[in-house]
Amino acid sequence: MGSRPLKRILLVEDDPDIQMVTSMTLGSFGGYTVQACSSALQAIECAAAFAPDLILLDMMMPGGKDGMYTLKALREIPQTASTPVILLTAKVQPSDVVRYKDLDSLALIRKPFEPTALVDTIQGIWTRYSAQAH
Amino acid sequence: MRVALQELTEQYSAALREYCTEGGEASLLRGYQLGRRAVAAGLGVLEMSTLHQEALVEALLEMLARDGSAHIATRASEFFAECLAPFELTRCSIQEAHAAMCDDNRGLKQRLSAALSDFVGAQDELLEEKRLSNLKTDFISVISHEVRTPLTSIHGALNLLLIGLGGEFNPKGQRLMDVAYRNSRRLMRFVNDVLELQRMELGTMTLDMRPCELQSLLEQSVEASQAYASQLGIRLVLKQVPAGVRVRVDADRTMQVMANLLSNAIKFSPTGETVSVEASRHGSVVRVAVIDHGPGVPQAFRSRIFQKFSQAERSSEREGSGLGLSITKAIVEQLGGRVGFESEVGCTTFYFDFLEWGPQPASLNKEEDTWAADR
Repeated sequence: MGSRPLKRILLVEDDPDIQMVTSMTLGSFGGYTVQACSSALQAIECAAAFAPDLILLDMMMPGGKDGMYTLKALREIPQTASTPVILLTAKVQPSDVVRYKDLDSLALIRKPFEPTALVDTIQGIWTRYSAQAH
Repeated sequence: MRVALQELTEQYSAALREYCTEGGEASLLRGYQLGRRAVAAGLGVLEMSTLHQEALVEALLEMLARDGSAHIATRASEFFAECLAPFELTRCSIQEAHAAMCDDNRGLKQRLSAALSDFVGAQDELLEEKRLSNLKTDFISVISHEVRTPLTSIHGALNLLLIGLGGEFNPKGQRLMDVAYRNSRRLMRFVNDVLELQRMELGTMTLDMRPCELQSLLEQSVEASQAYASQLGIRLVLKQVPAGVRVRVDADRTMQVMANLLSNAIKFSPTGETVSVEASRHGSVVRVAVIDHGPGVPQAFRSRIFQKFSQAERSSEREGSGLGLSITKAIVEQLGGRVGFESEVGCTTFYFDFLEWGPQPASLNKEEDTWAADR
């Protein structure tokens, strides 16, 4: 079976500016359907209804409900139990990256990223993932 | 010991009796010598005086009939005093030794306390150094997050505007957009460079070392910089590479080294010039050289060219963080190679050397010798 096309992306990002730029990049430039959420709770709320193909998840979010928390919660929702996840982070200290390595994710994208390159990167990761998965 | 004591007692009695009856220096001298033997045998003054008493009683019992007791008592005291002299001498020398020891102790104490305060000072320095180092790491962490986050939106927004998401700009607007975008990219590169260098300094960079074909590595590197070169009107060529040469390196990191050296060479070349890449073999050392025909490295700048944040001149045209070459050097050294340059007006060569990777482990030692001699 050939690779399934990537259509629906759930973006979880608490910084409103980054959220807007990223969702415009993915939506207007990449042509994906994007659901943007600003918090873990919001993501958990709309995960089931949106049923994303891919989740872009910011690791640093306030209030103790960070990326790790969100990822764990999303895994308990049937619609996102095995949805591939790409982590976003501005923290790229070795100690942080090591922690992220153990998480159930496809890749780690570091901020700042070039929006136009982001689409290529995500598409590349998706292509490799879906070729492996099928 | 007991035999010695017995003998000592007998000799003492004899000498004491002799002195009591006849007097004379000779028997007194024997008393003194007996005293020294007693000291040497480890006898104390109390034991000595017991020995004296016993000998005296014996002598008195034997001699009382013939002589006056007062005379015998005086003589016996004199003799005893003489034989106690060595004890007194010993006591004095012990006191002297003790005093000397006290002096030594004081000296030692002083030296110890000096050493201790040195140690405490060194420890303070170390703590201060550690504090500064932590401060630096914390500071870089702050840069990492607090600068990268806003930069993500700024750079992203500019990028989207530039690709036309906000509609067309008039020529002036377009120029301003270019300036903004170029400089946000410059800031982004700087932040990434600082973090990269920190990773290398902390030794947390992971390397994927494997034997690589030099030819293909260099082809890919040149290919990757081709766009930047043609943008500045520079011809970029890969010259001779010795056939079949392999080096054991991390390919991505080596490409990064090449990208840095090529970008420098291109940046400093006059438009229309050529930047060339060539590789050569010197014994078991493989040298990769990037050659440009720019103005050369200024004399005053040569000694600090690989240092952090160093640039020969600040110029917006030649944008850069001043970290490129120090990153290059750090990478090459982590890969087990070395980096260097030769420069004159019109011809500058930056090079890095690696050991050729050979399949036969027997030649490894020889290679190391060549390497050491070549250094």
